[in-house]
Amino acid sequence: MDQLLTNFIRALRNADVRISTAETLDAFSTVQLVGYRDRQLLKDSLGLVLPKTQDEKAAFDTCFDQFFSFRERSPLPASDTLNGGDASAAESADGAQPSNADAGGSGEPQGQRTGGQGADAATEVISEITGEVEALGKGEISEARSALGQLLTRANTIEVNMAIAAAGQQVNVHEIELFTQKGVYTRRILEAMGQAALQQEIFTLTGSDAIPDRRLSQDLGRRREWLRERVRDYVEHQFLLHADVTGRRLRESLLRNLRLSSLEQRHYRLLQDLVQRMARKLVAAYSRRRKVFRRGQLHVPRTLRRNLKYDDAIFDLQWKSVKTDQPKVFAICDVSGSVANYARFMLIFLYSLKEVLPKVRSFAFSSDLGEISDLFARNDIDDAIALALRQYGSGSTDYGQALTDFRKLCLDEIDRRTTVIILGDARNNYGDARTDVLKEIYDRSRRVIWLNPEPRPMWNTGDSEMRHYSPYCHQVDECSTLTQLERVVSRLLQSHR
Amino acid sequence: MADIPSIAASVGSLKQHLETHRYICSDQIATAVYLAYHLRKPVLIEGPPGVGKTELAKTTAEMFELPLIRLQCYEGLDEAKALYEWKYGKQLLYTQVLKQTLDEVLQGAKGFAESVKRLHEFGDIFFSEEFLEARPLLKALREEHGCVLLIDEVDKSDHEFESLLLEILSDYQVSIPEIGTVKARSTPPLVFLTSNNTREISDALKRRCLHLYIPFPDIALEQRIVNARVPEIAPELRKQLVRFIHDLRELDLKKVPSISETIDWARTLLLLHADRLDSELVRNTMNVILKFQEDIESVQPELRSLTDKALRS
Repeated sequence: MDQLLTNFIRALRNADVRISTAETLDAFSTVQLVGYRDRQLLKDSLGLVLPKTQDEKAAFDTCFDQFFSFRERSPLPASDTLNGGDASAAESADGAQPSNADAGGSGEPQGQRTGGQGADAATEVISEITGEVEALGKGEISEARSALGQLLTRANTIEVNMAIAAAGQQVNVHEIELFTQKGVYTRRILEAMGQAALQQEIFTLTGSDAIPDRRLSQDLGRRREWLRERVRDYVEHQFLLHADVTGRRLRESLLRNLRLSSLEQRHYRLLQDLVQRMARKLVAAYSRRRKVFRRGQLHVPRTLRRNLKYDDAIFDLQWKSVKTDQPKVFAICDVSGSVANYARFMLIFLYSLKEVLPKVRSFAFSSDLGEISDLFARNDIDDAIALALRQYGSGSTDYGQALTDFRKLCLDEIDRRTTVIILGDARNNYGDARTDVLKEIYDRSRRVIWLNPEPRPMWNTGDSEMRHYSPYCHQVDECSTLTQLERVVSRLLQSHR
Repeated sequence: MADIPSIAASVGSLKQHLETHRYICSDQIATAVYLAYHLRKPVLIEGPPGVGKTELAKTTAEMFELPLIRLQCYEGLDEAKALYEWKYGKQLLYTQVLKQTLDEVLQGAKGFAESVKRLHEFGDIFFSEEFLEARPLLKALREEHGCVLLIDEVDKSDHEFESLLLEILSDYQVSIPEIGTVKARSTPPLVFLTSNNTREISDALKRRCLHLYIPFPDIALEQRIVNARVPEIAPELRKQLVRFIHDLRELDLKKVPSISETIDWARTLLLLHADRLDSELVRNTMNVILKFQEDIESVQPELRSLTDKALRS
């Protein structure tokens, strides 16, 4: 019973629901209270205890439905040789432990089943033959000879489950990573259990003249189908427990370090989730309201006020403090063809940080510069970026013009609390760089950060003006992957602490 | 005195009792109350504004016939306002009294050492329960027969305050440096926290709570809610207006109408003796359900088609 819940929690963790040990304990006491009988109640209850955000709740719902699928799982088909009591025992045992296949897994001795070799019996042929059911009536039935056949006719469900688990270990089913592998693992487990020998037996039995033999072949055929179903369920469970997430994590770690320019359209969705998750992490880290106490400066009015209640005996001293301001960020993005992708993700990043960076103003340019903050206020991030790219994206890059426009637009609003981020490759098509404008911005602002998506060795080659711009920046960084982007933004937040 | 154990015996019975107190809810919500009672865990309720988060706590208190202690959170709320405060005035008086009796106490004492010794024997009640002014949290712990503690809009408070709550939520106790630990009486309070999600609640707090998300109800449920709250309204009109609100929620609005607005609207229509929706009526009463001029303007052109749709259903 407990194993079942632990497995479920493991599957949940796999599905990116964060569950602490304390919550696991809560889940146990919850299950003790409500029991497993009422599925909806169980779902409602665990849904209150385990997932703690809306996203997690959605993940929980699908995970629960998959995990506790309680599909109509027929018990081992009862036959004449299997007496009634045994069958019902097997059934009730099965009902009590829906996932005992996995539970028994670890403790089982391995390799009980010797896989039959050779005998490459064509499955198609067999199923075709078993398809046309011969009415043989009840009566005597032969003894199965293959190991798997014997197990299937003799054993109860638990024994079969244990055999499946053992075979699963043999073929390392816990290494399953992608859903496309489900079929492969199902086949491998069946093979490890000795399906080939069973096939062969059924094949020969079907051809036999003796009626008891043919009866056996039909019976075994049914049992084989049942076994396949079982194994499929088992693999499905294992997949939920072990896989899914590994594949995604792999992709994500790759994406993090991939140059953003080489991204394909189909990755955007995933990447956006990733960016937003990274942003949320930063928000959590920096959303505390910061207060800096100025050491040693007495706040006289407040001290007097506070100490009125002590009959003016001053013993509760109040110190001056300042609330540090949330950074004001001006982002200037080159959205011409070569850098548009970087601009996209930096903007997503900045706007996902709304909680810690409420004052972001963004500007886009290729030759002329315009403010695009409004687009973000009115649309969701996706649309806003698309609109911005369409509006400003065409035209040859002219940094000089863009900087002049920027000065005209809002130089007055840049003050000591403002951080200006410029994202661009500084390739000015040999035009006038207008470094004097950048110097003006530099003098007024708190920080000017230049992010260049090109690798460092490429800077200053050709028409790149990096060498002229960098003296007027507080910080110059390469920023071509998400990881680098995250580092820059994190440092930006830190500098305002 | 309500028979709490029998009311809370099952989810179904809880749901029924909540309904008799005019709180119509889904199974999920009733289950939350059920678990909160049996596991003795606080419930953190999230959801859009106006879906009845606060109402659930109020109704639960009413249903169990327990006192409701409410703590409204806001920025800058600190322990002096939430937990306890010393009664400074009384303490001042006490020192005055002490000054006068000091001579008697110290009479005949030889030397400084003995005076101090006598003073120590005198007993220190300066920081004691008598001088403690209990604020909501402490009050809730001290309730003899348990109570419902509602910590409203916890997301509006500071991070520091959240940390302050942790001890209460996990162990139903608070530590007061001068006195020691105050534990809850025999029955700890039933705690509800509500949040409008203006900021992320910390993991530490979430971990200690059951997490209930109340979404907007489906049409059938909302009709029952309106029926429970405004029983006088004609069934036909009720159906139409709930339908209308649901269609409205589909639109891209700054603030979508919530249940409380549905109920307000139903009351308004009742007051106007309306028996069916028409676009003129809707236009005139629009400001009851939409709270932003911007929203009202954006809905204006669609009014007719929305009304027709609601009528046809």
